[in-house]
Order: sequence, then structure tokens, then C-alpha cells
Amino acid sequence: MEDKKAVNKGIFEAEVLSNQQIRQCYYRLNLQFDAKGSRLFQNVTPGQFLELDLSRVSLPDASMIPAHLRDTAVKQILLRRPFSFSDVIVTPLSEGPCVKVEIMYCVLGPATVRMMSLKSGDRISVLGPLGNGFSIPQGLKQAVLLAGGMGSPPVLHLASHLKRHHPGCEITAFVGAKSCESLPFSVRIGDHKGLVLEEFEMLQVPSHIATDDGSAGYHGFVTDKVRHWLEDQSVAPDSGAVFACGPEPMLAGTARLANDFNLPCQISMERMMACGIGLCQSCAVEIKSDAGDTKYRLCCKDGPVFDANDVLFHKA
Amino acid sequence: MMEQDVNLTVDFAGLQLATPVMTASGTCGYADELSEFMDMSALGGITTKSITLKPRKGNPTPRIVETSAGMLNAIGLANMGMDQFIEEKVPILDQLDTRIFVNLAGQTIDEYVTVAERLAKEPAIDGFELNISCPNVKKGGITFGTDPKLIKEITAAVKNVCLGKPLMVKLTPTVMDISVTAAAAVEAGADALGLVNTFTAMVIDIQKRTPVLANRTGGLSGPAIKPIAVYLVNKVYNEVARDAGIPILGMGGIRTASDALEFIIAGATAVGIGTATFVYPDTAKNIIHGLADYCRQEGLSNISELVGSLR
Repeated sequence: MEDKKAVNKGIFEAEVLSNQQIRQCYYRLNLQFDAKGSRLFQNVTPGQFLELDLSRVSLPDASMIPAHLRDTAVKQILLRRPFSFSDVIVTPLSEGPCVKVEIMYCVLGPATVRMMSLKSGDRISVLGPLGNGFSIPQGLKQAVLLAGGMGSPPVLHLASHLKRHHPGCEITAFVGAKSCESLPFSVRIGDHKGLVLEEFEMLQVPSHIATDDGSAGYHGFVTDKVRHWLEDQSVAPDSGAVFACGPEPMLAGTARLANDFNLPCQISMERMMACGIGLCQSCAVEIKSDAGDTKYRLCCKDGPVFDANDVLFHKA
Repeated sequence: MMEQDVNLTVDFAGLQLATPVMTASGTCGYADELSEFMDMSALGGITTKSITLKPRKGNPTPRIVETSAGMLNAIGLANMGMDQFIEEKVPILDQLDTRIFVNLAGQTIDEYVTVAERLAKEPAIDGFELNISCPNVKKGGITFGTDPKLIKEITAAVKNVCLGKPLMVKLTPTVMDISVTAAAAVEAGADALGLVNTFTAMVIDIQKRTPVLANRTGGLSGPAIKPIAVYLVNKVYNEVARDAGIPILGMGGIRTASDALEFIIAGATAVGIGTATFVYPDTAKNIIHGLADYCRQEGLSNISELVGSLR
């Protein structure tokens, strides 16, 4: 009989510190957790997530709601919504840790429309921390990070985590999106050549952009950009690794890419989920099993980070 | 459970429950996931997810979709199967200080009987819930639950191997007259009735013009179904359960203590909390406190006085 399971997740309250539009439909929400939440989150790792109860948040003024969402925005919310973090700041205080998290979100439905109306001082119910984050292999010297669209926040968090805790590791970030406008980061012209992403530059992490329409950076898929880059570099399989989060076709491409270069690869998956704690069984991810058969694992509890070799991808 | 001056214990098919609040099948996993969020001994009991003879992978995704005031699920009875359940989960359930009901599912009557017969031997298991109302599998499930003749056959067959442990039959609301199916279960020896399971429903993606769920249809649960479920509990209580002396586990969209009280007043001896647990895993705990508060305000010393007290 194993020991009684330690309590490592819970429901608690967070206070909104700020909620700002970054660009287009992208917003940045900063939360400060209460004592219980801070205790639970002090050792959180990139790729883990939380769930917010947005059912009690009211709709913003009609003029604030993007025209294409006015119809869907009136739908009522019942379930919590999962979010990863783009940063987590833990401040040790004499009375215990104080944790602040940064969440990037894209306004695309009735829940995120409601999020727009959160303002400093509002309180919101949080469930977390949930899932398993990226695990950093021993002796990691070179990390290749891939982010696609709204899969970017945990990748940014991973970059800052590696900078803080693995200073010897060389990091390169690649961010893909449909167009320059749909990049969830601030883009500017770098000192030397081409465009850079400010959020990564602040961490002193070199970054590359790929857009489907060529409006910024490489014209094409981010996975193709990384393929060209890897062909010019020598990333050693025993000290290098690929980490990715983004839409599933991008993750499938990343898995093939890592395989071709013999690099270990961890990917963070996304699924619709009702509970986030393994109760509802809705967030199934199909995993290859030894017998050539497949089995389902839960994105919320067994993931969201999986070994790319284990996941069976389906054609979109 | 005595909450100071109020007695919340109820007798449910011969089992004493600490409180009339249980967690509903398919919404509390194998129970170990919930113990991080509340003291399980405050619950009247838990009902495990469906257990089948062999492991089931379940349906492809998407398996859920949210609706206004509800959600659809089509999980497809994903579970680890009887053998692994006995090996891995029964020892954990044995440690919990609450009543354990196992939800039984299968494709044939023989499969239900085999699983019930084996699990009845486990001292940790207090009773069974017969799932003849799952709308999300091609064989078994709801096909048993809509035909009174099949209901009698399967209820009698499973009852025969339960070793005297209470057998609750969980009914689907997707029938012409739920009193007919309820009466069939009672006639064949059901010790309790669970109602209601989810309502078969569909959500359509208007861009793709396809159903959102990979299974096309799913079961609707959540606050949207509560008033219908309350009505059906009251109907079955009046037409079948009261005179037969059979307790009802009321389920359908319960989120608050007042929701639970509606079911109890309508005729439910106990209630099952389902979808609400997904959003607030400690919902059942809060409802239990609310029930005690209500009893105090109403001057009731015993919650069972409320059962079927609709005027």
C-alpha cells in the first residue's frame, strides 16, 4: 500500500494584478495567489497549467466585444478553462512564498471574452497546479524551443526557467504563426538583422520567426525553419533536446523533425477538458503501445507534456 | 454524520449512509482523484466509473462539449477493466471511510453477471449500480435500459450474484414513460433506483456542419437538465418507489444545497453530484453543509423527514 497521497493541488483564490491587451486578440493577465495557492505553486514547472472559473465573470461592454464574437459571447459558461503560464514568479517571504503568474490568452470564445473584463483587484477561483510539465534532462546543453500561436506561453516560461535554473544551457526559440499580426509576442527589428521577439530578447534568448504568409520572418512552417537551422548546426542527441507546444499538426511535424535528427523531444498537447484532474476522461491522447496497439492517456493528468515518440497523431 | 444538532444519516437500501450526498458515476474517477479536495468520510458514498469485464479505450476525441448550462459527454465507458480495477483500485477504495458503489456496464447480460459476481466477493465494495442507461456505446448500455423485458432479465440475473449487496438500477430519461422502466427494475428485485442518467443530445459545428463530438451524439448533463430530473424523480417516487419502499438516488444538474433539497423533497433518499464536481471538486462537501443549515432553519432534527415531503 503506497503512502497516502500528498495534497499537491487545490482550489483557491487569486487576485488580478493587471489585465492588458498585448496586440490584436492577445491579452496578458497577471495574477497573485493567496497563501494556499502560493504554497501549492511554489515548485510549479513550465508546461503545467491551471483552470479558471470564468462563469462568474461578467461580459464586457458590448462595444468591447469583437464583432465576430458577439453571437457566441452570450453563451453561458459552466466549465473551467485551462491556461498555461508564460511566467511564474516565486518570492520567498517570512510568512511563506508569494506566487505571481502571468497568463497569455487569446480572445476567441465566450470564456475569453469574459476575461477581457477582469480588472485589477478582482478575485477569481483557481484550480491547480495541474498536469506534468517539461522535464529537463540531466546535462542538457542545447535546448531547441518551438512555439506555435497560442502554444507560445509555456515555451516562453520554459525559456525563462532554463535561463534561471540551467545557466549553462544554450537556448534557441522558434515561433510560428499564420501571420505577423497573429504572433502573440511583440515583434521589432533587431540590432543586427531581421525581426526579433521582445519577450525572448528580454531573456537574452535568440528567437526566429516563421509565418505561413511570409509577413514576418521565414515564409513557411516553423518546423521547416527549424529543419534548415538544424542542418546548419550540430546539436548532439545526448546533450540537446527539442521542446514544443502548439497546434497538433505542428507538433506532429516537430516529432518527425526530432526523429530525423535523432533528438529527444517533449511536446505539450491540448484537448478539450471538463475537469483537469482526471475525473471526466474527456481529454484522451492516443499513445502507441508496445504491442503495436494504441491506448489512451489523459492530457490533464498523464500530460499535457508527452514524449513526442509516444503520441499517435491523426491527420487533421 | 451528526452535524451538531442535525442527523444527516439516511438508510439507503439497508446501508446506512453518513449523509445523503454521493458522487455520481463517471464524475469521480475511481475516487482517489477526489480525496485531495475533501474528506471523503463526509460523503454518503461514491459510485465508481463504469467497470467492464475487459479494459475499454473509450471513444475518440472530442469526447465533451460545453452547452449553455450544461455539457455533453461521449466518453464511451473508458475504464481499466475488472482485473486491473481489483488489483489497483479496490485496495485504495478499501481505505476510504465511505460507502463504495461500483457502476457495472457490459455488452451482454453474461458480462454484467461475470463482473458483479467477481466484485461482490470484495469486502470493500458495498453495493452496485447497474448501468443500463449509457447513451454512448454501440452495444449494451441504453439498449438494455429502454426495454422493460430486458431490464427485468438483466436486473434479476445480476441481483442473483450480488451476494445480498444492494443493487441500484440507473435509469435513462430517454424513454416514453420512466415509471414503466422503474417498475420493471423493482419487480425484478432492484434494491434502489438511480435517476436520471444523461439525456441523448447533439451539438453541431456550424462551420463544418458536423457534430462536435466524435461520437456524433452525447449525454447532456448539468444544470440544464435539473428541473426535468426533479420532475422524473417525483413521478417515479409517486408512481413506483414510495409504495414499493425502494429508495431513489436523485441525480441531474445538482450544484447547490438547494438543488439537492429539491430532489430530496421530490422523493430522493439520497442525491448524486455529477458535472458540478468537474468545476468545483469539493461541491459535495459544500452541499452537505448547506443541507445541515437548511434542517436547522426548518427545525428538522433528521434529514430523512424531508424525503418525499412535497406538498
